[in-house]
Amino acid sequence: MSPAAKKVIKDGLWTNTPIFVQVLGICSTLAVTNNLYNTMVMVLGVTFATAMGCWTLSLLKDLIPRKVRMIVQVLVLSFYVIIIDILLRAYQPTISKQLGPYVGLIITNCILMGRAEAFAAANKPGLSFLDGVMNGLGYGWVLLAIATVREFLGFGTLFGIKLTGASFTPWTIMVMAPSAFFLVALALWGANAYKAKAEAKAKAGGAKPGAANPGAGQTAAAAKR
Amino acid sequence: MKLKKESIGYVVAFTFVVCVAFVALLAVANQLTVERVKANQSFASHFAVLKAFGLADASTARDQVESLYASRVKELAAPAPGVSAYSAKIDDKSYAAVKLTNPGLWGPITAILAADPKAERVRGLEILEQQETPGLGGRIGEPWFNAQFAGEKVGADGKIHVVQGSGKGDPDKENSKVDAVTGASRTSDFVEALVAKALGDIRAIGGAL
Repeated sequence: MSPAAKKVIKDGLWTNTPIFVQVLGICSTLAVTNNLYNTMVMVLGVTFATAMGCWTLSLLKDLIPRKVRMIVQVLVLSFYVIIIDILLRAYQPTISKQLGPYVGLIITNCILMGRAEAFAAANKPGLSFLDGVMNGLGYGWVLLAIATVREFLGFGTLFGIKLTGASFTPWTIMVMAPSAFFLVALALWGANAYKAKAEAKAKAGGAKPGAANPGAGQTAAAAKR
Repeated sequence: MKLKKESIGYVVAFTFVVCVAFVALLAVANQLTVERVKANQSFASHFAVLKAFGLADASTARDQVESLYASRVKELAAPAPGVSAYSAKIDDKSYAAVKLTNPGLWGPITAILAADPKAERVRGLEILEQQETPGLGGRIGEPWFNAQFAGEKVGADGKIHVVQGSGKGDPDKENSKVDAVTGASRTSDFVEALVAKALGDIRAIGGAL
């Protein structure tokens, strides 16, 4: 595996993960994470659409005029989202029924446009595809972790399987959107604190201690988008 | 030769070609699957009617659904535009069902409600299509929510109230009340209205059974 591919994998899953560092895709994080099954469907949809969309856009990148590049990006990405919808409706109607309301959420997910603009516009198709997959999965593991907490505390179930006794009182707040705010913020805090610590440790060898956590500025900039 | 990528002619031509190409692909995909989608929809509707009558459940095999539907369910003349009516004989008693579409919070809700001809007790409710908030109102499609309606006594006001309860489902079949979905008060109001309207429709057609 080439070093570039290795970097793409590490970036997507940890160093530059969509939720923690790019702070993209937060709206869908709030919406779908009170249930693991829905989260799973959403993650697969986003991963597929990002990977295929980025691959196509990377193939076309030398032909796309700068003036209309965003229009073309939206067109290609929504094309893949609608294709998923059409194919599921025809061949997997049960999943299609579950996915129904999420189709709109996939296309509004900033990760799709974010990766198309930040990566696929300047890299080769194969690498762009990998970047799409890794960002989808990087988004996915954070979402699934949050959904595990929310579904367990909110319903007492995981993937719809009851794990708690009858005396368990569900935490209603965990079902509602506000709890996702708390959990995402806590997870963000934890991940960034861990990263800052790891960086400080790496630099403790004698390099500048004042330059710890260079990721913070990047995060703030990304959050403004 | 290097193309003048930023020239107005190129930009217009490129955008046009890209749009036509992708839209054409979507149109082809849609056209190729349209028959299948129709068959799926009709199957889903038949299955939901059977489930509302209590003649089938989630474990019923796919190939059994159509034969059960053909042998047990009678399609009646539409009592009103946009409403379909059905009847079935179960244990020598007649039941009626209607499929109707009523407003929801984000979009129309299509549901099938079965009850006795006088609409005194619900036989079953199935939500066929809805666009409520995923994870909140969207949960009205889940089996535990619909199961609460089965056997529920209709109140003197012709309604079944969808109200805040324990969040675990209301087991009392005599109180004309079911547990609402937590965090979905508005959707619950729409479900209550839909059920009341469906019960009214059943009362209207029930006399002929």
